[in-house]
Amino acid sequence: MSIRTNRRPAFGPAVPGSSAPRRRSLRLTDARFAALMMAPAAAFMAVFVAWPLAQFITNSFYRYNPISDAPHRFVGFGNYIAAFGSAAFTNSAVRTIAYTAIVVFLEFSLGLLVALLFSGLGSRSRVFRTIFMYPLMIAPIVAGLLWRFLLIDNTGIVNQLLFQLHIIGSPTQIQWLSDPKIALLAVSLPDIWLTTSFIALVLFAGLQNIPGDIIEAARIDGARYPTLLFRVILPLLRPVIAVALIVRGVDAARAFDVIVVQTNGGPQNSTETMSLLVYNTQISDGNPGLASAMGTIYLVAMIALAIVAVAAIWRPGSDR
Amino acid sequence: MNGLETKRMSTRALLWLVLILMTVLYAYPFAYMLFTSFKTPLETNAIPPTFFPTTWTIENYVSTLTNSAVPVSILNSIQTAVISTLLSLALAIPAAYAVTRWKTRLGRVFILTALVMRMVPAIVVGAPLIGFFHALGLSDTSLALAIAQTTISLPLSIWLMASFFDAVPDELEEAARVDGTSRLGALWRVVLPVARGGVAVTAIFAFLASWNDFIFALLLTSVRAVTTPLEIANYQSQFGLAWGPMTSLAVLYSVPVILLTLVLQRHIVAGLTLGAVKG
Repeated sequence: MSIRTNRRPAFGPAVPGSSAPRRRSLRLTDARFAALMMAPAAAFMAVFVAWPLAQFITNSFYRYNPISDAPHRFVGFGNYIAAFGSAAFTNSAVRTIAYTAIVVFLEFSLGLLVALLFSGLGSRSRVFRTIFMYPLMIAPIVAGLLWRFLLIDNTGIVNQLLFQLHIIGSPTQIQWLSDPKIALLAVSLPDIWLTTSFIALVLFAGLQNIPGDIIEAARIDGARYPTLLFRVILPLLRPVIAVALIVRGVDAARAFDVIVVQTNGGPQNSTETMSLLVYNTQISDGNPGLASAMGTIYLVAMIALAIVAVAAIWRPGSDR
Repeated sequence: MNGLETKRMSTRALLWLVLILMTVLYAYPFAYMLFTSFKTPLETNAIPPTFFPTTWTIENYVSTLTNSAVPVSILNSIQTAVISTLLSLALAIPAAYAVTRWKTRLGRVFILTALVMRMVPAIVVGAPLIGFFHALGLSDTSLALAIAQTTISLPLSIWLMASFFDAVPDELEEAARVDGTSRLGALWRVVLPVARGGVAVTAIFAFLASWNDFIFALLLTSVRAVTTPLEIANYQSQFGLAWGPMTSLAVLYSVPVILLTLVLQRHIVAGLTLGAVKG
C-alpha cells in the first residue's frame, strides 16, 4: 500500500537519541526489542510465504507426478524451456498483459472522471461517495458470477437493455462470454466494476490535498480546465496515481476468481490468463514442475514490472 | 475545498446529471442480483429478462438456508475470518509498532519485504501449502485456511498499522516510560488506545481479505472447512445454472459487509487512501 517510508530521508541511526540514556541500564536495547517485536510476523512470513515460495521454485527444476510415488526427476531448466516453448504459455502471458492493461486503463479513466466529479461537486457528493464504495466490499467470486448472469448470451439483461436502446439489433447479437474475440474484455468487466471505486477514492483524496492557491494561480494565469487538468492537477497527483496504478496493476495481473467463475479460461482458452494457466497445469494437468516454472517466470516478471513502474511513474527522489 | 469545486449553476447541474447516471449504472448490477433472488425459477430464466420480480417469493432463500451445506459454510466463513483477523492483528501490531517507533534499518528491510510478499500470487503460495498442511495434519481445517489467508492480509495490515502508529506522537510513549511502564505496557495501555481507530480499519481489511477469499478455500478445503464463496460457486456446477439460489446466497453473504461499509465508511476511506495520499 503505502510507499511513504521510502520517500523520507534515510532513517536515522538504529536507536533515536531520545531513548539513548536509558539504553545503558537495560540489557534489551531498543533495537533488539524492535527486532523481537518484528520476529513473530517475520517468522510467519518466512514459514508461510517464503518457504512455500522456495518450495515452488525448487519444484520448477523437477518433473514428477503429484499422485504417484515415483521419484522426482531433476530436469534442470527443462521446465523453463518447455514453458517458453509452449504456445499456451506465451499466449497466456500476452492475455495477462492485455487483461491488466484493459482493467487498469478503464478503471483509471473512469476513476479519474468520478474523482473529478466528486471534487467538482464538493461536499454535497458525500452520499454518492458512499454508494460508490459498496462494490469494494463484495467478494470477487460474487461479482464474477453476477456479471456472468448479466452477460449470459440468451437471457442476459445487458444485451436486453442494449436491444431496447436500439444499440444492437437482436438480444443475442453480442456473445459476450462465448465469442473468443471479445471474451477477454467481457471477463474484465466485474473487476472494473469492483475496483474503479478504489481508484476514484484514492484520486479524490489526492485532489483534496492539492493546495488551493496553486489552482487559483493557474486560473489567474488564464488556464482553462483541460490545461489545468493536464498541466497542473495530474502532475501534482503523480505519486498518488503511481500507488493506485501499481496496486491495481499487481492485483489485476493475478486475477483468478472473477475469470474462473465466468469462463474458466474459455472459450478456446481466450481468457486463460497466467493465474489460470498455472492453476490448470498444477491441478488439472497434474504437472507441478511445469506449473512451478511458469509461476516462477510470472512472479519474477511481475516484481520486475512493479519495480520499473515504481521507478518510471513515481520517480522517487524527484520533487514531484 | 480548494478551488476545484465548480460554482457555475449550469456546469453543476451537468455534473450532477453525469454523477447520478454513473451511480445508477454502478448500483444496477447489485440491484439486479437482489431482485433476481426474489424471483421464481421460471422468471429467473425468462426471455426477455425482467428487472423487478412479477411475483415476489422467498423460496430461493428458503431452499438456500435449508441446504444443509450452506449454514455450515457460513459458520466456517465466520470462524475462518475471525481467526485470520486476530492472527493478522496479533502479528501486525507489534511489528508495525516496532517499525515506526524505533525506525531501525532492520525495520525498513522488514516493511519493504512485506511489500514484496504482497505481490506473490496466491496460487504460488497455495500449491505448496496443500502438502505442508497435510503433513501437519491440518488438511481441510479452518485454522489452515485462516493461516493461508493471513499471508494476504498480513502485509497490508502491517502497512496500515505502521501508517496509523506514525500519527501517534512519540512523546506519549516516552511519558509512559518515564512513569515506569515497560515498552510493551506503553504500547498496550497508552499507544494502542490512541490508535484504536486504526486497529478497527486494519481489522476490517483483514476480515474482508478472508471473507472474500476464494482461491485458498478452493485449494485448501474439501468437506469440513468449506466456506461460503465455494458454496456460491458450487451452484453453477452442481445444478446447472441455479441463478435463483445462487443470487440469494450471494445477497446473504454480501449484505453484512455492505452494511459494515455504510456504518464505518469514514474509517474505510481513511484506510484505503491513507498510505497512498499522505505522502
